[in-house]
Amino acid sequence: MTMSGFRERPSRVTIAALATGVLALAVAPWVLNEFLLSLALTCLMYAGLAVSWAMFSGATNYLSLATAAFFGIGAYVTALGYESLTYPVSVFLGGLAASAFAAIVGVAILHLRGAYFAVLTFGLGELVRHAITFVEKKYSGTVGRVLTETPEAATVYLTVLVVALAAVAVCVAVRSSRFGLALAGIGADEQRAQTLGVNTRLVKIGGFALSAFFAGALGAAMAVRWTYIDPPAVFNPFIGFQTVLIAMVGGAQTVAGPLVASIVFSLLTELLRLQFPYLFLIILGTLLILLVLYLPGGIASLWTRKRAGKRDG
Amino acid sequence: MGFWLELAASGLITGGIYAVVAMGLNLQYGLMRIMNISHGEFLMVGAYLTWWAQTILQVNPLVFLPVVALMLFVLGLLVYRLCFRPIARTAANAEVVEARSLLVAFGLMFIVQNLAYLVWGADLRGYTFLSDSVEIGGARFGANRLLVFGFALAASLALLAALKFTLFGKAVRAMMQSPTGAQLVGIDTAVLHPAVFGAGIALAGVAGALLSMVYEISPSMGEPYTVTALIVITLGGLGSAGGCLAGGLLLGLVEAFGMHFTSPSLKMLLSYGVFILVLLARPRGLFAR
Amino acid sequence: MAEPVLRAEEVSVHFGGLVAVDCVSLEVGSRELVGMIGPNGAGKTTLFHTLSGVLAPTSGRLVVAGENLTGRGAHIYARSGVARTFQTPRVFAAMSAEENVRFGLEFAGRSRTHAHDAFDNAASILGFLGLADSAGIPAGELTPAKQRLLEIGMALGARPKLLLLDEVAAGLTEGEVELAAALIRRVRDELGLAVIWIEHAVRVLMKSVERVVVLHQGRMIADGAPQDVARDPAVVEAYLGGEAGGEA
Repeated sequence: MTMSGFRERPSRVTIAALATGVLALAVAPWVLNEFLLSLALTCLMYAGLAVSWAMFSGATNYLSLATAAFFGIGAYVTALGYESLTYPVSVFLGGLAASAFAAIVGVAILHLRGAYFAVLTFGLGELVRHAITFVEKKYSGTVGRVLTETPEAATVYLTVLVVALAAVAVCVAVRSSRFGLALAGIGADEQRAQTLGVNTRLVKIGGFALSAFFAGALGAAMAVRWTYIDPPAVFNPFIGFQTVLIAMVGGAQTVAGPLVASIVFSLLTELLRLQFPYLFLIILGTLLILLVLYLPGGIASLWTRKRAGKRDG
Repeated sequence: MGFWLELAASGLITGGIYAVVAMGLNLQYGLMRIMNISHGEFLMVGAYLTWWAQTILQVNPLVFLPVVALMLFVLGLLVYRLCFRPIARTAANAEVVEARSLLVAFGLMFIVQNLAYLVWGADLRGYTFLSDSVEIGGARFGANRLLVFGFALAASLALLAALKFTLFGKAVRAMMQSPTGAQLVGIDTAVLHPAVFGAGIALAGVAGALLSMVYEISPSMGEPYTVTALIVITLGGLGSAGGCLAGGLLLGLVEAFGMHFTSPSLKMLLSYGVFILVLLARPRGLFAR
Repeated sequence: MAEPVLRAEEVSVHFGGLVAVDCVSLEVGSRELVGMIGPNGAGKTTLFHTLSGVLAPTSGRLVVAGENLTGRGAHIYARSGVARTFQTPRVFAAMSAEENVRFGLEFAGRSRTHAHDAFDNAASILGFLGLADSAGIPAGELTPAKQRLLEIGMALGARPKLLLLDEVAAGLTEGEVELAAALIRRVRDELGLAVIWIEHAVRVLMKSVERVVVLHQGRMIADGAPQDVARDPAVVEAYLGGEAGGEA
């Protein structure tokens, strides 16, 4: 747990670099070919998921595997509202639905810690998936839903970009706020934080719901890419795992770490996954173990360590 | 009457397997805070090794059972040495151990499962073994299923007895209750931890070997058992081997009867429902006082 | 008489069959410095958990500054002006010493100001405790003695009316204990706080406080001026009869 990012003001150079970066990302649909655009889209999706995951789980040490559940709920909002809602509205509602789900569930489960919390949140995704499968089969008589007319690739890309940027912006804002301080206090010593006046229960539920919003919105935004939506595809536990991996590998206590890691992982995924599906996952697993064992602070610890070295010298 | 007996028996048979799988995982978590999400993958490895021995070497799977146990025990020692010991040695506190070992176990899950796909392919495999049925009290059971249940029960009871009566078992229980206290009386974690981790993996392998006698096997067969084992641990209580046995059998019955009264497609929904209810209502297990 | 800062009415805490705190009633007025002693296992820390809302009492009532807080969460107690330290220091290890103090200021202490505005920011609190040089250092890297002081700083950051100190002297040298005692007196004198102070170093404690309460097996067996309590036969019996605990 490091609080080194707290109250640090970005320099003018950083702001300029950020502005250039955002501009470059925004013009991508008109510059990149189809393959590269889809690669960039995957990147943005995982960046948004990982950063918003880290905002809650990285700070509080509540290891949530519920990302797949939130993502899937968002996607189902798009699928169900396909004929009545416009795309941006579904994205927003998808986020709200996931957020509401997280808040309700959070009331019940946020008193559990450690592996229990991790396993329970994982179970939630599966529970929702099986429940939707059952309801769809029984009452709608369908297994999945077909989306016939979907928005253009550029629209999808820009929407996901906006959501991902919002996730990053909110994350940065939270980290330098009282709310972020409370989350960090919960992660360091929950009871101590409470004896210093933090309403830990409320803060946890709020943080969990806020982070779920972005996962839900991204699910709703990405849903249109599939054209055919069924529970196994959108409640894919792999999405949840990958999010956690990216955040932890990048460094869950930072914002930049998960961003960098999401680029690395998306590239790795796109390059290897189709040709060598099994080998890809073996490499992923090995990489994960090596990183946890030998670089436990994540990729971000590479540069924070360097900075600390500079300060000493 | 015969029908209900069959239904109950089929629940108990699956439940017996659940108990064996869960016990191994429970020991690992209870003792070392390793939430080994890759536990089920070693069950799958045990199943494939048995299938190999049966189809290539024509070895009777029952004879091969101790060999599987030994092979997976050694594999467990190796995995512990390479992946988990470094965490235990560097982590600052139990919470860090828990988080890091969970991630490492995810990595292991990816590695083992996909290695299995590379080596054995994605097809379902199987062999027939003692598939004649036996009639007891007006109900008919596959002989192999009865055998599997018998062995699962025997393995569970043997473990319970070992924990209760052997010096080693007492050391394990002491360690779970008070790590520092146990260290003060001279219990050596450098031996105990790898041995218990290996034993847990060996139990998973035995469960897999038993399963291969009854069901078809595939590289993805392990994952559901990991999840079920977690549910059983929740039912039975952390660190309680007896709770695991009871919880496993109970979950088997709940699934069997639940599916009968609702629909087979609800199996996972039922398990998760039970899991979440228990976790919310009795987070320390059904049998905790 | 003005409303006491804290009033505990017949508070009991049971763990299963075990009675950890047995029907303790206690009133602490503003600016009172109260020592709390008792052999190991007397229920001192459990009583602190109850007084700070960490643990709800099995029965009894807790009134803080005239408001009944029985059964409310620890954050409510903190916001109502009860701050505490823990027996083993529980600082936020990765945050700097200054951020640790600021934590209390940001939450429990947000809606209040200290009587003495020299203590109204993290820097001044750290200065008061002699930790000014450590402000930027992660709390986990401080020596245990400094972490104990920092814990007091975190509690002061909450701008409390009542400070609960659970063993300040453990692990300190005799000279350091004297300094800590002087510090606690200054906290009371300069900030006008009420303080309840648990200590095993009974001799130092007796010299520093005007009132001592003694717990034994969960019950309060004495409450009075140090010189009277020291002569109380029940107290002598508790300390000598059980284990010859403490350093009295």
